[in-house]
Amino acid sequence: MSGILANIALGIVLAWVVFALAGWVVAPWVAVGLGAVVALAVVAVARDTLMPGGLVAVLAPFGAMLPALALRHMGGGLGLPVVPFGTFEIVVFLGLYVAFLAASMGVFPVDPYRLGYAPVPVGVMVLAICLYGALTGNPFLPLVAVLGQVAWVMGWGSSNWFDYVLHVMMVPVAVIVLVQRALGG
Amino acid sequence: MGALHLGLLALGLVSVLLSGYAVWRDRPLEWRFALPAAVAPVGAPVLERVFDYKASEGVAHAPAIVVEEGGARIVWFEGSAEAQPDVDIHSVALTLGPEGWQAGESAAYFTRDELGAAMEPRQLVVTLGNVVENEARQASVFATVVSVGGWAMASVADVQMGEGGPVSARKLNLSPFLNRSHLVKSPMVVYADGSHALPAYFEMGGTHGTLVRFGAEGRVRDTRRITGPGKMIQPMIVPLDEARAVAFLRDFDRSDRLWISRTQDGGQSWSVAEKTGMANPSAPVAAVGLGDGRILMAANDVEGAGDLRLLTSEDEGATWKVVTVLEPDTAGARYPMLRRVGEQFLLTYSHDTKRGIRAVVFNAAWVAAQ
Repeated sequence: MSGILANIALGIVLAWVVFALAGWVVAPWVAVGLGAVVALAVVAVARDTLMPGGLVAVLAPFGAMLPALALRHMGGGLGLPVVPFGTFEIVVFLGLYVAFLAASMGVFPVDPYRLGYAPVPVGVMVLAICLYGALTGNPFLPLVAVLGQVAWVMGWGSSNWFDYVLHVMMVPVAVIVLVQRALGG
Repeated sequence: MGALHLGLLALGLVSVLLSGYAVWRDRPLEWRFALPAAVAPVGAPVLERVFDYKASEGVAHAPAIVVEEGGARIVWFEGSAEAQPDVDIHSVALTLGPEGWQAGESAAYFTRDELGAAMEPRQLVVTLGNVVENEARQASVFATVVSVGGWAMASVADVQMGEGGPVSARKLNLSPFLNRSHLVKSPMVVYADGSHALPAYFEMGGTHGTLVRFGAEGRVRDTRRITGPGKMIQPMIVPLDEARAVAFLRDFDRSDRLWISRTQDGGQSWSVAEKTGMANPSAPVAAVGLGDGRILMAANDVEGAGDLRLLTSEDEGATWKVVTVLEPDTAGARYPMLRRVGEQFLLTYSHDTKRGIRAVVFNAAWVAAQ
């Protein structure tokens, strides 16, 4: 199952990259279509070639958040209603996530990543995210958190829940969004 | 209450149910070490070189021991040079028969392509490194896998072997940074309930040792750090009793000393590593507990790669006595791996500065006679 989900996630992320690049020169629906074609071709036909094999080796586990962000972005491009994250939210997330990565890599003596292996801390964190979603009126984060918990409990990928709701690629994505907003984009 | 809040309430309820199931399914980890039977020097002394191999070209390095029925298998990485994209895992079977130990033909154990195809999900494997036996499952090993960059970008793969090579493999989830950068070197630690822990080490930035615990399904369930003021890697853990153990650590920063960390709660927490009095040229050591606080160790002397010596401690690693020099400095012997195989000890190491693999068998009577 983790192999199938990884292929789906790989396809979505590839489609997102094509959408983001093609979106500069063609209409969003064309960019999404191009992304879908490229993703399908790579995952269905060329999955065992160097590029997708390397992407999986480097980026897996993809988790739930990265594909969900990609789908959300593409959906927004097609005109679907998307509740945007606030700039302050993104700044706080970026600071906390970088601190989390640093602590997990031994910069600080605490290791928050190991909380993601244990059912009780994971349950508490998911409920806290659901509460945050209720307070902000944004269902996106609770949905991803619970989807991640489903996959984590079922063993469909990483044995650590954080791998479903966080991904290092979110750092450059968050920075790009902040820069775009600073530039008035 | 609007549709949004109803939906979020439903998500919360789903989460509570999932958490309940996860808590019900979870089994608390055992934190009491299993202790091997004490080793007594009985019978005639035995010391025998059972395998001596030299790669036709390039490197053959970091041998591990996989205990098998009727003997053991020596497993190492071999290629044109360390961390190159032509390195595969090779092995040789050692069998103990009526005529003593016999070494079979050395051959590829698994290749990078075979491992990449067996991975779940399938992925590129560029090069391979240290391997250790997964003692929790038959015919399984943990392999150090690199798909991009050098050793600091390595991951640890849990590899199930079949007749013709790996049949399934998956990376252990040990880090939130693209699942990098963990490696293995030392054999597993056994707990009183039969579960195992894997000594690993993190080699990016704040380098440290890691004790990896597994749940019932063999997935990572917890990790504990073993840290020190230097760059502590390649922890070699020796349980002393149910609660206490020592971890000998190599300092990647070349302090020229072996470092030691201790636990008194079964590995849940580890003291900040301290320098021992033993010289060490930033090289890994191999050790086994002999019972009653005695430890047998294979380690290098401090000059260059140094002599490969066999040492014993009678006081839980506080002081050491050199039993014998197994290989002189000129032999370039490094990366020892020491395991008990039945009533004997099997020691393997690379020689000729990573160009070959040797293995010797000896018993406690031979150690006592030195």
